[in-house]
Amino acid sequence: MKFLNSRNIQTIVIVLVVSGLLFLALSGYLTPVFNLTLNPLISLQSWLSVRYLSARDFLTTPRDVTLLREQNAILESQVTQLQSQLIVLEERLGEAQVCFALLDFGRTNPQYDYIAATVIGREISPFLQYIIIDKGTEQGVRYGMPVVTQQGLVGHVDAVIARAARIKLISDSTSVVNVRLQSAEIEAQLNGSLTGDVFLDMIPLDAMVEPGDVILTSGLGGNFPPNIFVGQVLSTQLRENALFQTASVQPIVDFEGINAVLVIQNFEAVDTSPLIPEP
Amino acid sequence: MIAHIVCAITLVVLYILQTAVFSWTTLISGTADLILLFFAAWSLQEGVHNSWLWAAIAGVFVSIISAMPFYAPLIAYLGVVGISKLLQRRIWRTPIIAMFIVTILGTFFQQIVYVLTLQISGAPISWGQSFDAVVLPSVLLNLIFALPIYAIANDLAGRISPLEVET
Repeated sequence: MKFLNSRNIQTIVIVLVVSGLLFLALSGYLTPVFNLTLNPLISLQSWLSVRYLSARDFLTTPRDVTLLREQNAILESQVTQLQSQLIVLEERLGEAQVCFALLDFGRTNPQYDYIAATVIGREISPFLQYIIIDKGTEQGVRYGMPVVTQQGLVGHVDAVIARAARIKLISDSTSVVNVRLQSAEIEAQLNGSLTGDVFLDMIPLDAMVEPGDVILTSGLGGNFPPNIFVGQVLSTQLRENALFQTASVQPIVDFEGINAVLVIQNFEAVDTSPLIPEP
Repeated sequence: MIAHIVCAITLVVLYILQTAVFSWTTLISGTADLILLFFAAWSLQEGVHNSWLWAAIAGVFVSIISAMPFYAPLIAYLGVVGISKLLQRRIWRTPIIAMFIVTILGTFFQQIVYVLTLQISGAPISWGQSFDAVVLPSVLLNLIFALPIYAIANDLAGRISPLEVET
């Protein structure tokens, strides 16, 4: 009966109570009790934790800001360097695209030899439509040579010195180019104007000309090689009692944004002026 | 001597700026003419005595490079200097107003000379279209650039004059 002393009974009761509680807890009977007691504790812990973290951030922030500012400055300088590199690369890409386009034109028209030139200036007088290029007689440029871009006809060499040449654009008021309309198969004259607009003249009255018709050089007169793209018809005008129709033309070349051209080297302009009888 | 060197360098710089930049900057079809503005401003400066000579040199220089008839820029620049000298004696107390008046009159004179010479050489240019598309926009653009060019010319003349006296 020594086994049933008060100490052993106390131990057995504790073991039984703990086992009972474990059994109840594992079987889920104590969940409401746990919720009731643990939720306030968790809330309290969360509240305390948030305050602690805020306080820690507040105390350690100045160091981080300094570090971030340094990192930001480094990144900003890197961004600036990359932007400047990007600008240089974009410029090179633009130049390369122009070169590729000019090369492409040369490939599609292999019968001609070309001299590539950069546009370096424009005529000083606003009444005239001329540009100045950086190639002259030293590079083989001669008076009268036709000038084109990858898009189409630009004009012809009007004056040339050793390292530069002046190009008369087809949009100049004194410029006349013999052209043909591809769809209507008729020939006409392309004239420039004071404002740089170009228009077709000498179109027969019975010719059917539609907006969008393609205009190519005809080669007549011997000033330009045939079949070079010039532009498209915008609209036609027929005045009463006029002998010919006229038409507004959208030139294919943007003369305001032109920055590189090709001079056709192996085309010799024919001077027909001695054949024209003097009045 | 210094005034001649300054004039030569300034004109070369202005010509390069004109052909490379300002001739591409158009208002309708008009453009500013920096050389004209420089002569207008330079002639209005007191103590400047070489404006006739350099107007003639610039006129010949521009005539050689330009597609205009040979005598047109020469007449235009000499005319601008003439207008400027006439006004300098009359409105000498208010040079800024004189600069604006010379700019307007000089631009009109230059453009009229250009239209006339082009018509004589056979270009199909009408007076009405020339005024609408070129002359009036050019006057406006020249008026915009008149003050900066006057400031440059005034500064150059101010720097040259003491040196000329010393030498």
